[in-house]
Amino acid sequence: MVYWLSPSFSSKGVYELAKKTALFICRCGTNIASVVDIEELVDRFSKREDLVVVEDLHLCGDEGLRKIEEVLRNQEVDRVVVAGCTDRLHGELFKSVVERAGLNPGFLKIANIREQCSWVHWMDSERATEKAASLIEMALEAVEHSSETRKAKVPVVRRVLVIGGGVAGITAATNLADAGFEVYLVEKSGFIGGHMAKWDKLFPTFDCSMCILGPLMSELAHKPNVKILALSEVVEVWGSPGNYFARIRVKPRYVDEEKCDGCDRCLDVCPVEVPDEYNYGIGFRKAIVKPFPEAIPIAPYIDMENCIGCQSCVGICEPQAISFEQREMEIVERFGAIIVATGYKPFDPTPLAEYGYGRYANVITAPELERLIHPGGPTEGVLARPSDGRVPKSVCFIQCVGSRSDRPVSRPYCSRVCCTYAMKEAMQIKMSWPDTQVYIIYIDLRAFGKGHEELYRKAAEAGIVFIRGGVEVQEIPESKNLLLRVEDTLSGRVLEIEAELVVLSVGIDHNPDNEQLASVLRIPLDENGFFSEAHPKLRPSDTVRKGIFVAGTCQGPKDINDTVAHAGLAALRCAAFLSEPEVEVELLSPTYDPSQCHKCLLCVRSCDFQAISYQEGKIAVDDLACAGCGACVSVCPTGALELPYINDAEVFAALEAALKNRNERPLVVGFLCNWCGYAAADNAGVKRIPYPTNIRIIKVPCTARINPLFILKAFSLGADGVAVIGCYENDCHYRGGFRKAKSMVNSVKKLLEAIGLDERRLLIESVSASEGEKFAKLISDFIAQLAELGPLGSELGGGGDERSV
Amino acid sequence: MAGVIRCGCMSITQSVVKAEDLDLSFAKTLEQLGIERVLTCMQCGTCTASCPSGRYAAYRTRLVLRKVLLGLREEILSDPDLWLCTTCYNCQERCPRRIDVVDLIIVLRNMAFATGHARERHVQISRFFVETGHLVPINEENMKKRRELGLSEKPPTTHSFPKALEEVKALASYFGFDKIVLGER
Repeated sequence: MVYWLSPSFSSKGVYELAKKTALFICRCGTNIASVVDIEELVDRFSKREDLVVVEDLHLCGDEGLRKIEEVLRNQEVDRVVVAGCTDRLHGELFKSVVERAGLNPGFLKIANIREQCSWVHWMDSERATEKAASLIEMALEAVEHSSETRKAKVPVVRRVLVIGGGVAGITAATNLADAGFEVYLVEKSGFIGGHMAKWDKLFPTFDCSMCILGPLMSELAHKPNVKILALSEVVEVWGSPGNYFARIRVKPRYVDEEKCDGCDRCLDVCPVEVPDEYNYGIGFRKAIVKPFPEAIPIAPYIDMENCIGCQSCVGICEPQAISFEQREMEIVERFGAIIVATGYKPFDPTPLAEYGYGRYANVITAPELERLIHPGGPTEGVLARPSDGRVPKSVCFIQCVGSRSDRPVSRPYCSRVCCTYAMKEAMQIKMSWPDTQVYIIYIDLRAFGKGHEELYRKAAEAGIVFIRGGVEVQEIPESKNLLLRVEDTLSGRVLEIEAELVVLSVGIDHNPDNEQLASVLRIPLDENGFFSEAHPKLRPSDTVRKGIFVAGTCQGPKDINDTVAHAGLAALRCAAFLSEPEVEVELLSPTYDPSQCHKCLLCVRSCDFQAISYQEGKIAVDDLACAGCGACVSVCPTGALELPYINDAEVFAALEAALKNRNERPLVVGFLCNWCGYAAADNAGVKRIPYPTNIRIIKVPCTARINPLFILKAFSLGADGVAVIGCYENDCHYRGGFRKAKSMVNSVKKLLEAIGLDERRLLIESVSASEGEKFAKLISDFIAQLAELGPLGSELGGGGDERSV
Repeated sequence: MAGVIRCGCMSITQSVVKAEDLDLSFAKTLEQLGIERVLTCMQCGTCTASCPSGRYAAYRTRLVLRKVLLGLREEILSDPDLWLCTTCYNCQERCPRRIDVVDLIIVLRNMAFATGHARERHVQISRFFVETGHLVPINEENMKKRRELGLSEKPPTTHSFPKALEEVKALASYFGFDKIVLGER
């Protein structure tokens, strides 16, 4: 037995062990209790004298919380374990109760017996109960060795960074500026306005989009406390809530915004013409760009890729605003809070072969149609069909393109806006060209907003033909008309419609930039690539990170009304967060014991956040710059660094508990990162995807937190396999965390081989937070493989239940 | 309307209906004839659910409305189901779009009659009405029964008053009913 791997190896000095631990077991209505035998658990743990055991129907409810507080106050309890749902759901809530009762929240551990037990092991009540007991024991052991966590009060910076200049970003920025905050609005493209600026008229009221957005943009631009940075991107964010730092890359505009008076004469003289991406490639633009007259900033920008350097613009510019000397620059600024408002991308229907988009000239998307009927668009408002410029005599709208489909190229959700915008566009066509026959081919009509049903009725009365059914489109080569085959499911007839123009009502797709930004901000995305809100009902504008908020369609499909409401809430939440002069932040940084330090500086090199430095012969930890991944702690060879919110000793203790009774074989220990691995395990629970019970999960902030000794300890205690599951390398919430873990795991694999163990007993894999299915399959396959390999030690001719390697 | 769509034939359900064969103004025509809001039908099926006739027969009120909206004019008018409505007015009472469903069906029946789609029995009794003033004129059997009961052989109707029959005929002629019933057939 490798005894030097005992907990005391890394736990330096003496931890004051617990006097008495309170164990709260939650039934969660029937969510846990219908699978896990709560009475059995209560019975079993009540026998222990160092425990106070309390069970409740709903610990998260007001009554449950009061019960916890009461027990903690009256029973001389100094450690707490809550067995219930995932701590990703109510962890903060229970922490606050523990704190209210006068205990340090570091002395609370949560045993996840819902998402990672009752919801995935519902087919086997007995084994689920055993596993729940084991998970509780792990938490009880861990909490004995847990340490106090620290908090710090940090002065709040009253400046907000709003990322994205669409209607959501504009609304949030305006509200915050009005409330007296300084605002930076960062927009990736050349101008603010987003998709809304492209719409001609808005549903359900047919008001002109620019007539309401234009004044809002201009008002914002004139606010003294608002800075609009166009052609800009946020490339790095660090710091802590109330005190974030952001590095913003600003591309050169080549037109001085201060000098330019917005006369737009440069646009007339520029001789270059290239396809206009603002209009989805319909028509042309110049190399000096300003897509619409009301654009903010009022100065155009020069597209250097297409500029021929003729200087015509320089010649005509009276205020001499053209400046070819501008260079890309980076700004670093402090912000108290951040609002993400990066919007969406219209779904690209090209992969859906049945509609022929991209192959048939006269199949267009609804956003393209919007540009065609926009008086400021490439055809000045004439509905000219692409093949010959004629106004079509018949137009078919096809709904749910890319939405509500489980095909891999489509999206599973309803995009919420397409039904109503199609009816609006159909009406606009009917109003301008009454002889044109308009059809809307739909699956369900979801006209649920205020005034939407009324619009539906008006559209029907206007003679727009609604056909409920699916459709296939083929081009008639001679006329370039489209032949649609539709099943009218309401009459059971198959119809054949010859249409001169087909409009695809494409849905709202996530912005592909979200992935990069999620990693910069360390906030999670949902399974469809939108940003995850903290709670779908009660905290729809918050994220899991304090001081970072989401507004508009970057969180999920919304119409303009809902976007504005959501952005307004984000602004209010942000203002509330910044209203106090100081904000309390939980410190996730390591403690440092200089007496044990050999100054090897491995920690300094392991930190991706420059939070550990070596100055004048001393190691210094910047508590606020630290993101809390724990990479430094796991590389520290002496134990001079320790992470209070998950220290080595508690991990070792949890391992001991997990592997004490190995009733299940093979038995696996899983080290799962908080953001992706653990979240995916929770996701499997939410989706009720079963996998074998033979795994004990230990949550780590990042896979980089995993000390190689954790893995060796697990094997030394008789684990048949160890699974390390983290984020995809590029999605790591601590930049290089998963990469570090991978290289560590590869070294340990070599070590295992050297000892004579099969390296397949150690698994490292990536999942994303929403990949519950993948997680469940991963675990099932791993356990099946281990069953084939036999118990630990089989490869050495031994195996069985000996606790030796 | 190319007479492509014929009634009651299995092959028609399986064949493709071309949009140019649809009378997409049909619903509009009906609105002009006074049946308001036909175009707003959302196919909820409340009418079918409320229909006592539909409980026992293949008659589907919603489908009549759907065919109206699609402009399957010939098919509706020639469909024998059109005559299964008992005009109980349940559907009309309950329609969430307040469409006068029964009134619509009556208009459709008139159209069917006018375009030669009346059922043979209906033509027969209509002819009786024009010719005798009775939908069910008296016959030998009935006259015998009346005698046995001590009544006059003929009831005090057009059967007894030929002048009244003339008035009925004048009315039928005034409204063109005689032409519809007797003319084309």
